[in-house]
Amino acid sequence: MAMFALLIVLAFAFSFVKTVRNPTVLGRSALWIAFVFGGTLGVTRTATVEDDDAALDGILLAPVDRSAIYLGKVASTSLFVFVVNVSTLGATAVLLGYTPTLRTALALLGVLAVAAVGFAAVGVVVATLTFRAGLDELVLPLLLVPLVVPVLLAGVELTAALTAGSPTESWLRLLVIYTTILLLAGVATFDFVVEE
Amino acid sequence: MTVATRSAPSAVRTNEVTKVYGRVTAVDGVSFAVAPGETVGLFGPNGAGKSTLLRMLAGLARPSSGTITLDGTDLVPGDHAVHRAVGVVTHESMLYDDLSARENLRFHADLHGVADPAARCEAVLDAVNLSGRSSQYPSAFSHGLRKRLSLARALLHRPDVLLLDEPYAGLDQRSVADLAAILDGFDDRTVLLTTHDLDRGVGRCDRALVVDRGRLQADVDLDETSAAFETTYRRAIGVDDGSNGGVGP
Repeated sequence: MAMFALLIVLAFAFSFVKTVRNPTVLGRSALWIAFVFGGTLGVTRTATVEDDDAALDGILLAPVDRSAIYLGKVASTSLFVFVVNVSTLGATAVLLGYTPTLRTALALLGVLAVAAVGFAAVGVVVATLTFRAGLDELVLPLLLVPLVVPVLLAGVELTAALTAGSPTESWLRLLVIYTTILLLAGVATFDFVVEE
Repeated sequence: MTVATRSAPSAVRTNEVTKVYGRVTAVDGVSFAVAPGETVGLFGPNGAGKSTLLRMLAGLARPSSGTITLDGTDLVPGDHAVHRAVGVVTHESMLYDDLSARENLRFHADLHGVADPAARCEAVLDAVNLSGRSSQYPSAFSHGLRKRLSLARALLHRPDVLLLDEPYAGLDQRSVADLAAILDGFDDRTVLLTTHDLDRGVGRCDRALVVDRGRLQADVDLDETSAAFETTYRRAIGVDDGSNGGVGP
C-alpha cells in the first residue's frame, strides 16, 4: 500500500514536475490521489484477510458487541491509511518539492487523520459487504469511491486553504460532520452487513 | 419414522425455523429438540439445508421466521450468552494464516474472555494433539490438522453445545480416526453434527435428523445398524433404488 502510494508520487514527479511549476498543486494532487487509491487497497486487504477461511465468522462467534468489532476494524484501518499518507506526504516533499511550513504540516496531519477515519468508516462497511455478498473485489472501488467524495473534496480544499493561509472552517466542518455521520452509519449497519 | 418436537428438557430447540434467501427457501419450518448431552446427526443430501440450519444455531444467520432456543433462552445473533454456550466447527477453519496456531488460539481465548488463556490454549492444543505444532502457521497445516486446530478453537471457551459441520469431510482415514478419538473425549457435551457419512454418523450419534429440500423428513433414534438406517434415510429423502448421489461417504 505504501509502495503503491510512493509509485503515484513518483509518477507525478516524472510526468508533471517539468510542466507544472507549482509544487503546492502537484503535492496536494498526488497526496489525495494516493490517499484514495492507497486507502482502497488498504480496506480491500483488511477484508480479504478476514474473508480467507471465514476468519470474520470466528470473531462474530465471540461474545463481543459487533459495534466494537466494527470500531476496532475502523481504528486499525484508519491507522494503516494514516501512516501510509504520512509517508506519502514525506515523499511529496522530497520528490515534488511540496514543503509546507511546520504549522501547516501539523494541521495537514490532523486533516489526514480525520479523513482516514472517514475513509475507513465507510470502507470497512463496503468492503465487508462486498466480500460477504460474494461480489468481485473489483466492485469495491465502484461502491466506495462515490461515498468518499465529500471526504476527498474536503481534504483537497483544506490542503489548499491551509497552504494558502485561507479560512478552513467550512471545509473542516464538512469533513468532521461527514466523518461522524459515516461512523454512526457504520455502527448502525455493521450488524446487518455481517449477518446472513 | 417420526417427525416431532420432543418435549423433554432441551439444550437446543428449534420451532418452525425457516430461512429464505431471495426466492430460495433453504430451511423450511424445521422443528426439533436436542436433550443435554445428546449427540444428534443432521443427515441429508447436498443443498438440503443442513449447513444453513447449523449457521442459524451458531448465531451466524438469523432465521427468516421461527425461533431457536438454547437452554431455554431465545437465540439472538450477537447475544453474548449464546456465543459463550456454543462452539462451532465448519468447513472453514475461521483462523488467520498470518498467526501461528498458538497465537490464533490466544486471540480467540482473549475474545471469549477465557480465564488463564495461556494455560487453556496449551490444554486444548494438547487435547487435539497439536502441542508439537503450536508455533507453526495454519497455512502450513494439512486439511486434517486445520480441522483439529479449528476444533481446538471451538473448545477454548468450554461450550455446552458443539456444532460440527461435516467434521469428517476431506479427511483421510487416519485423520478421521484421530478426529473420532478426540471427539470421544467430549461425549458429555451436546453435539449437533452434519455429515454425509452414514457409517460414521450412525456410529457417533444417538439420534438422526434427516433433512431434505429444507424440511425435516425424519427424526429417528439410532439404535439400528448403518445399513438399516440407510434404508430409512433413502426412504426419507425419497430415493429407494440406491442411485442417489447424496448417500455415502
